[in-house]
Amino acid sequence: MRRRILGLAIAVVTVIGAAGCGSSSDGTSGSSASGSGKTTEVKVGIIPIVDVAPLYLGQKKNFFSSRGIELKMESAQGGAAIIPGVVSGQFDFGFSNTTSLMIAQTKGVPVTSVANGAATTGNTTTDVTAVAVRKDSAIKSAKDLAGKTVAVNTLQNIGDTTVREAVRKDGGDPSKVKFVEIAFDQMPAALDGGQVDAAWMGEPAQTIAKSQGARAVTSPFAETDPKLTVATYFTSAQLAKENPDLVKKFAEAMTESLTYASAHPDEARQILTTYTKIDGQVLKDLTLPDWPAQYDMASLEKLASLGEQDGLFGDKKPDLKALFQ
Amino acid sequence: MASVRTKPAGRGPSTTAALRGLAGLAGLVAVLEVLPRTGALSAHYLPPASEIGRTLGQLLAESTFWTALGDTVAGWGLGLAIAVVGGVVAGVVIGSVPVLRAATASTIEFLRPIPSVALIPVAVLLYGTALESTLLLVVYASFWQVLVQVLAGTQDVDPVADDTAHSYLLGRWGRVRYVLWPTALPYVMTGVRLAAAVALVLAITAELVIGSPGLGREIAVAQTSGAVSRVYALVLVTGLFGVAINLVARAVERRALHWHQSQRREG
Repeated sequence: MRRRILGLAIAVVTVIGAAGCGSSSDGTSGSSASGSGKTTEVKVGIIPIVDVAPLYLGQKKNFFSSRGIELKMESAQGGAAIIPGVVSGQFDFGFSNTTSLMIAQTKGVPVTSVANGAATTGNTTTDVTAVAVRKDSAIKSAKDLAGKTVAVNTLQNIGDTTVREAVRKDGGDPSKVKFVEIAFDQMPAALDGGQVDAAWMGEPAQTIAKSQGARAVTSPFAETDPKLTVATYFTSAQLAKENPDLVKKFAEAMTESLTYASAHPDEARQILTTYTKIDGQVLKDLTLPDWPAQYDMASLEKLASLGEQDGLFGDKKPDLKALFQ
Repeated sequence: MASVRTKPAGRGPSTTAALRGLAGLAGLVAVLEVLPRTGALSAHYLPPASEIGRTLGQLLAESTFWTALGDTVAGWGLGLAIAVVGGVVAGVVIGSVPVLRAATASTIEFLRPIPSVALIPVAVLLYGTALESTLLLVVYASFWQVLVQVLAGTQDVDPVADDTAHSYLLGRWGRVRYVLWPTALPYVMTGVRLAAAVALVLAITAELVIGSPGLGREIAVAQTSGAVSRVYALVLVTGLFGVAINLVARAVERRALHWHQSQRREG
């Protein structure tokens, strides 16, 4: 699969490429010469959302530079660009939700997790994600979602599997929930406009929706597992093999950043203003995830079995030991 | 276009066109102010124009905004330049060699309709979120606009003129310079104008979807942050940029073709 894409890429390059190569790449990567001295430039593919605050905080606190790592965040728009970017070597590390990583692994994409990313708060009333409904909706709890339309940002991923689990736990029939795909930022409007009965929202969408009158009925992450590991930082199997030292240093710096961010939530909240445009009341109200230093393997096993149950991995099974070392 | 009673000579048509364009924009602004204020549309999702304007003012004071604008201009301009040069050279070569023309026709017809956005995975694999990703998409989309026009232009050469050039023993280069080029130029200009607009659309799309630097990425970040009026302010900027591109393209076209009947008739 990957080889075929690369082949296609090369074909495209030969058709149009010669001209394209003349383009200057300065201004981005050329500015800081790596290799000289002992600093290595490390590109991390991220989505500019709340969950990656520790990474920015760790950069500010020099947890990375003190280990000879010069961080360069490449904010991709959505996870779609991150996994291929890491596998092709455009990014050294990436940030992704754990279900996506399991799907990638079962599809034979060579990735491996190196450090924890973000976890649920475990609090079923104020969590990092929630299924919200209109103020006057008849839906009172998760089981009422059966037969209703629920928006998720990506179908066949962590959103719908955990929502189904929340419905199941509440005594509803998860197979009756209809899911539609809508971007988080459009969910408050879609909910308000009646296009969907409920929406599974992350931050800051859920805080915005609540400020406009929406009501949260369930917190699927916390319902699934109070310690659910939601996202991790990962790298390609190739880099992990070729440069274990760099991977180790990155993981150490990341762990230090997660610990620092957990201890200083106000600083974490504040650093959001440097890479997102969240401000005002939303910035004050939004729920930060938990940033434990380690994965919770039991929760990942649970997530994997939910994915299997929902057919996310075809007839394969993710190898969690290999993926989350 | 060909109406007989036109405005006084000189810069008349362009000024009127610009004025009309501005009137259209003013109308749009008025509608955008009224709709949210009357509650016809929720101000949560469409803030009144005055608020968007205020955000735009703040935006103009930010250095990140100007960097983003610069990135978009670079992606657009560089991509367009590559596409135009490539398209013109390829078009003239293919168009003036009948064998090549026959050999490439089906390939071009096959490649041309492939939407540039389908190349996004390829762009990400090759360049990640760098400027080159934008360039790949922009060049692919606008190259065909130019190429097809140039090919049409080379088809349009008057056989009598070409034969005459032959009998005056003009060389290949001479015929390209004095016969083919003047015939093809109006087509080239149309191609460039179309390509300029397409290039902007693709530059913004690449930035929005892939996350390569530029206005599109700024829009995406504002969107995920729920900064609604900022999103509209940025969209407004891209719109104005598009208008500016179109005005410049038309001006260039008029300049380059001042001798051509299509322009003389109006002027």
